[in-house]
Amino acid sequence: MTSSPRTLTEAAAALRAGETTSVALTEAALAAADAHDEQTGTYLARFDDYALASAHAADTDFGNGVDRGPLQGIPFGVKDIIAMAEGPTTAQSLVLDRTWGAGRDAPVVARLKTAGAVITGKTSTMEFAVGMPDDSKPFPIPRNPWDTDTWPGGSSSGTGSGVAAGLFFAGLGTDTGGSIRIPAAFCGVTGLMPTFGRVPKSGCVPLGYSLDHIGPLARSASDCAAVLATIAGHHPSDPDSVSAPFRVPEDLGKADLAGLRVGVVRDEHHFPDNGDPALLDTFSAAVAVLAELGATVVEVRLPYWSQMCTANMLTLACEALAYHRSDATERWTDFFAGTRAILAQGAMVSGADYVQAQRMRRVAQDAIDRMFDDVDVIACPTASITAPPVRDYLGERGSTGVLSLFASVHTGYWDCLGNPVLAMPMGFGANGLPLSVQLAGRAFTEATILRTADAFQQVTDWHLATPPLIAAATATTAAA
Amino acid sequence: MTDKTTATDEEIAEVRALLAEARLPASEAEIRTLAMTHRAQREAVHDLYTAQAARYVDPALRFRAHARIIDWWSTTV
Repeated sequence: MTSSPRTLTEAAAALRAGETTSVALTEAALAAADAHDEQTGTYLARFDDYALASAHAADTDFGNGVDRGPLQGIPFGVKDIIAMAEGPTTAQSLVLDRTWGAGRDAPVVARLKTAGAVITGKTSTMEFAVGMPDDSKPFPIPRNPWDTDTWPGGSSSGTGSGVAAGLFFAGLGTDTGGSIRIPAAFCGVTGLMPTFGRVPKSGCVPLGYSLDHIGPLARSASDCAAVLATIAGHHPSDPDSVSAPFRVPEDLGKADLAGLRVGVVRDEHHFPDNGDPALLDTFSAAVAVLAELGATVVEVRLPYWSQMCTANMLTLACEALAYHRSDATERWTDFFAGTRAILAQGAMVSGADYVQAQRMRRVAQDAIDRMFDDVDVIACPTASITAPPVRDYLGERGSTGVLSLFASVHTGYWDCLGNPVLAMPMGFGANGLPLSVQLAGRAFTEATILRTADAFQQVTDWHLATPPLIAAATATTAAA
Repeated sequence: MTDKTTATDEEIAEVRALLAEARLPASEAEIRTLAMTHRAQREAVHDLYTAQAARYVDPALRFRAHARIIDWWSTTV
């Protein structure tokens, strides 16, 4: 390889081939942050000295023949609702007690460090992984590298924008209603929500206890597989985590989906009249690629769609209110407007409503599991729109924006069910911004959806597209 | 969900009472905004009770008899 690595997987190969060093990759990542972070609002905290020390340690390990796996020496971002010893966790909130998690690593962060990842800093989020940006609060406004007038999606905003802008190769996000997949979609990168319980979520500020997932955002499916293999596995502090280690599938890199059965969703929920004009054609073209790779395609309709969308919001709001109510009664206006709107929703339903939502989740889980008897993967758009203008969500507009967003993004259904879902770019909308497809699988079949996405990315290059802002800066640097 | 641009006095009063019961000091503007969608959200919640398939189903809730809470920072795995 002669040019700079574009993906985590390429960087890992270049490190082992002696074509680059972790220090060189990290210095490039920090330089990219110097150049772009003010525009993208990616970081809440940077750990430059720590990152460079970690990079030197990784290079020393390589020199001594010590290989801790594909993340060794790789610049990496961590969403700032996940504890890391090098700095306080803020959850991008005035409210969170800064002593929470102070000086401690969440289990997933400890695993990243053991694997030799070079964590460059903590990334921006929607407050407590919910709500919307609020320009009345003293935090950066996350902006999309594809168009800084637009929102990068949330809540894992900084991890999505950071990968797209080249500030790191991969990072951690969390997903309770779509917070990995929405920024992956709007920023044109790949994001994986693992099966509920695959990755321990302790050490992460909770949003919805029964819905929260920690997972990777990166350039490619192969990158996401490498991260998942590092962070997956039981931890006794999370009663929901299971003993189901994940290994990177050996058949990644093969552009062959022969024998794979793909269920395709083309219903009115995913393709509304006000969706992007290019959505249907772009989605159809992506499905055609899967078929050309050998997959068998059948049409499916997702069972209990509207009920699961309701159950997702109801469950999230109730569980969030239980966690935040003490603070909310005392410090209501310190919360962002969008957060307040969600917490209020939790006060407007009954305990019986909450339990009934959990009964419906069981029914829908059973129905979707039976559907996976007939298909291996379900494909549907992640959102029916591209990144919306960030001004539409700022301040008090966030209180209505957060509730209306889910008419256009199609992610919360899957959080309710717990299935693994990968979101990846599939082309561009009419306005030139990224569009994304979701690939869902049966519980604990991440290998299947990663293999499907990887095959797609072997023959397409949407996941490698660079935002004009970054491409222009790179060209200027090269010319100088 | 059907969004409205105004809410009835009854809807506003209902939302105000619910938030007060939870001791959430929402502003009058927030209450009015929430009231616009409240009725539609209630209808969506009522719909959760109509599926016959859920009539005899256990919820996705499980109480565990394990008594000890294991702090996440106390164990490295």
